[in-house]
Amino acid sequence: MKKVLCSLIAAFGLVLGAQANTGGIAWDKAPGKTTDLASLQNGAKVFVNYCLNCHAASYMRFNRLKDIGLTEQQIKENLLFTTEKVGETMKVSIDPKQAKDWFGGNPPDLSVIARSRSAAGQGSGADYLYTYLRTFYEDDTKATGWNNLAFPNIAMPHALWELQGKREPIYAAAEGEGHEGQEAHVFKGWKQITPGTMTPAQYDQTVADLVNYLQWMAEPAQNTRTALGLWVLAFLLLLTFCAWRLNAVFWKDVK
Amino acid sequence: MSETPVDTKKIDSSKRTWLIATGCVGAAGGVATAIPFVSTFQPSERAKAAGAAVEVDISGIKPGEKLTVEWRGKPVWIIRRTPEQVQTLSKITAQLADPESKRKRGEMTPEYALNEGRSIKPEFFVAVGICTHLGCSPSDKFQRGPQASLPDDWEGGFLCPCHGSTFDLAGRVYKNKPAPDNLEVPPHMYLSDSKLLIGEDKKA
Amino acid sequence: MAEFKEISPNAPALDKVTNWFENRFPTAFDAYRVHMSEYYAPKNFNFWYIFGSLSLLVLVIQIVTGIFLVMHYKPDAALAFGSVEYIMRDVPWGWLIRYMHSTGASAFFIVVYLHMFRGLMYGSYRKPRELVWIFGCAIFLCLMAEAFMGYLLPWGQMSYWGAQVIVNLFSAIPFVGPDLALLIRGDYVVGDATLNRFFSFHVIAVPLVLLGLVVAHLLALHDVGSNNPDGVEIKGPNAPRDAAGHPLDGIPFHPYYTVHDIFGVSVFLIVFTAIIFFAPEFGGYFLEYNNFIPADPLKTPLHIAPVWYFTPYYSMLRAITSEMMYALIACVAAGGLFGIVKTRLPALFKAAIAVAALAVIAMMLSIDAKFWGVVVMGGAVVILFFLPWLDYSPVKSIRYRPDWHKYMYAIFVVVFVVLAYLGVQPPSKVGERVSQVGTLFYFGFFLLMPWWSRIGQCKPVPARINFVAH
Repeated sequence: MKKVLCSLIAAFGLVLGAQANTGGIAWDKAPGKTTDLASLQNGAKVFVNYCLNCHAASYMRFNRLKDIGLTEQQIKENLLFTTEKVGETMKVSIDPKQAKDWFGGNPPDLSVIARSRSAAGQGSGADYLYTYLRTFYEDDTKATGWNNLAFPNIAMPHALWELQGKREPIYAAAEGEGHEGQEAHVFKGWKQITPGTMTPAQYDQTVADLVNYLQWMAEPAQNTRTALGLWVLAFLLLLTFCAWRLNAVFWKDVK
Repeated sequence: MSETPVDTKKIDSSKRTWLIATGCVGAAGGVATAIPFVSTFQPSERAKAAGAAVEVDISGIKPGEKLTVEWRGKPVWIIRRTPEQVQTLSKITAQLADPESKRKRGEMTPEYALNEGRSIKPEFFVAVGICTHLGCSPSDKFQRGPQASLPDDWEGGFLCPCHGSTFDLAGRVYKNKPAPDNLEVPPHMYLSDSKLLIGEDKKA
Repeated sequence: MAEFKEISPNAPALDKVTNWFENRFPTAFDAYRVHMSEYYAPKNFNFWYIFGSLSLLVLVIQIVTGIFLVMHYKPDAALAFGSVEYIMRDVPWGWLIRYMHSTGASAFFIVVYLHMFRGLMYGSYRKPRELVWIFGCAIFLCLMAEAFMGYLLPWGQMSYWGAQVIVNLFSAIPFVGPDLALLIRGDYVVGDATLNRFFSFHVIAVPLVLLGLVVAHLLALHDVGSNNPDGVEIKGPNAPRDAAGHPLDGIPFHPYYTVHDIFGVSVFLIVFTAIIFFAPEFGGYFLEYNNFIPADPLKTPLHIAPVWYFTPYYSMLRAITSEMMYALIACVAAGGLFGIVKTRLPALFKAAIAVAALAVIAMMLSIDAKFWGVVVMGGAVVILFFLPWLDYSPVKSIRYRPDWHKYMYAIFVVVFVVLAYLGVQPPSKVGERVSQVGTLFYFGFFLLMPWWSRIGQCKPVPARINFVAH
């Protein structure tokens, strides 16, 4: 009996270790909070300026940005670039055929990207995006000239390279065999080749804001949801208390 | 049910207390739960965006011309009335069913259109181009004088082809016609001399 | 015309209205009496007895939220994914309705699994309640179909590929398989045709069947009366009754269990709403992360797994490898030998058993393990239908069974949970072995029950239920 149970527990442990890892380094924790309106607004600005050229967010309406504290006027003046109306959705400017020529496929829609990239045991989608947007490096073996540590061989170039500048990853030799029989190496850190317009700290903060915005955009109702949830639970606790007493008062006379 | 030696009145009243308490809390919860469900019936953001106000550039309309734009799926006419056309408006009041737009005030005629020309500026007339009888879109009859289905002293306006209702150049319906009301003037406002916004007005 | 019941003209208005209805629709009033105010249920229901009512509650929640979702959902392959995001963002309160429905789907299975486990523990499937159990198993099958088809509707990557894999399972059936799969799909791959028919089944066909089965399930139960944790029949020929003929060990369902269920429902709603408002994805188990990617027929996600409530059966499916076939052949051979040597059946039957066993073994050697995986997966559900005829214990409820039976049930639960967990994980060598052992245990638990349920010393079953006054 005990042996069976022990082996079952051992099996559990072994299986837990065999998590699917799609390649790429471990993810850092995304620092943003979706209740930080200033961060979300900054992130929205970065998103519209850098991402919407190639990506769409076709389920996100511009006027929904009022939920993060922007007025319609601010949205119209700062975030609408073509003749879009404030009630329209964030459609993409790029032509799908050109996208296929340049990148080999259509850049995915980013409306729910933060929800789709979560992975059990690795982190939330926001963690992935925060890591991903900070681990690009130049690689002239790739068509776009860029590669990425969190998603090796991705077709996307470093859209924010002007802000971060160009960097090179530093590796150290490691024990054992690496990927596909090559020498194993361990990622150690970064070397800045050319500076960007932001310091690393500023860049990290900007990316944090952008990822925070993506996290919010994936589910704009989330802040309402959690706020309301507290009230609903409080109400249900009251209802349960009344139901409990009601039940007791009836069952008192059952012998 | 077995007998109990305890005071039945006390039990009954505590049962009643908790029944009422639970009932009230439950009913409040029920209403609170029903609200989101019923709210899903309201126009969605997509419907509201599609029904958003329309900006129109009116600088290109020549006097005597009519421009039609779509708002909330309906045709909206913008007519640049000539001074003569504005003049005729006072001449025909006797032939009109509701010259002062007293019927369904507010609904068909907003505050700022309660004047003879039924408009903010006498020069520009804005109306929903749908006959108030059964919903056809009336045809332009700007030429004055006798014509088919029109009286001899016709000063210009609209004739609905479906059942023959006639409207003047301020959208006011003539007497003894099937249509009961003057043409609806939609909420609108001028963003500038050349830009007209249809669907919103100053008080919105 | 039936005799109308007279009522005094001085009676209160409410009574007169009630009387008017009762004269014209006595069925409704009789039904209330038979099923609520005069349905005597055992006094000793415990925590495990709330799950039936909760199942009914969740069914209602799913239907109501489903009705409101259908107002905005578009069953078109090009529009479906977008319409779900439309509900989440543009429809006022749409996000709440959506989360109620997605959480409700998982809640349905949690509640139903616990409800079934109650039946297992207390012998609620035994005579005279075999048919109640069979209706219940049919409900379980329909529920699985309903959930499977509903899951295709959001048209995400998991929706698409999950459906593709499961429909392809049907193509494993010899001879008719590929044509059957084509018939189910309505196309060469899962596509718009599939989506539309699954929508029809999910919204109309299966819910109607489910409702009918639930009604049958409840009526059949009320006809024979509820079981209880002690397994003592409160309405049996020797059960004591009071002067009015009501069972002494019973109480009217209304008001005692209506009030009890209100409490149970409130507690359930706390958990239910906590999930909806604070963790609707539930770590990716209730709303899978991959399903936030629109379906792409050209790209399979790295790791497809069915939704958590199917994973125990999925594990069993994956466990049937060509290696496992030898173990299964050995089991069939052992079963055949047992039938020939150990039973006292007439010679003709024994010959038939031998022939059948040999035929099955021949098929197992010639047909792919893939097909047998499907058979095992289906068999795992079908075997539940036979439970009333597999249990040979003289005693109904686990309370009076030999102690070691409790361990059997505990291991069964552990095995089921482990199989579920392994089904979520990608395949691995160790996982494969463990699920193979688990599958054998699962089937052994049922198929060998006629033997093991008789082993051990049962405790004496009391004549009256164990009830402690509240």
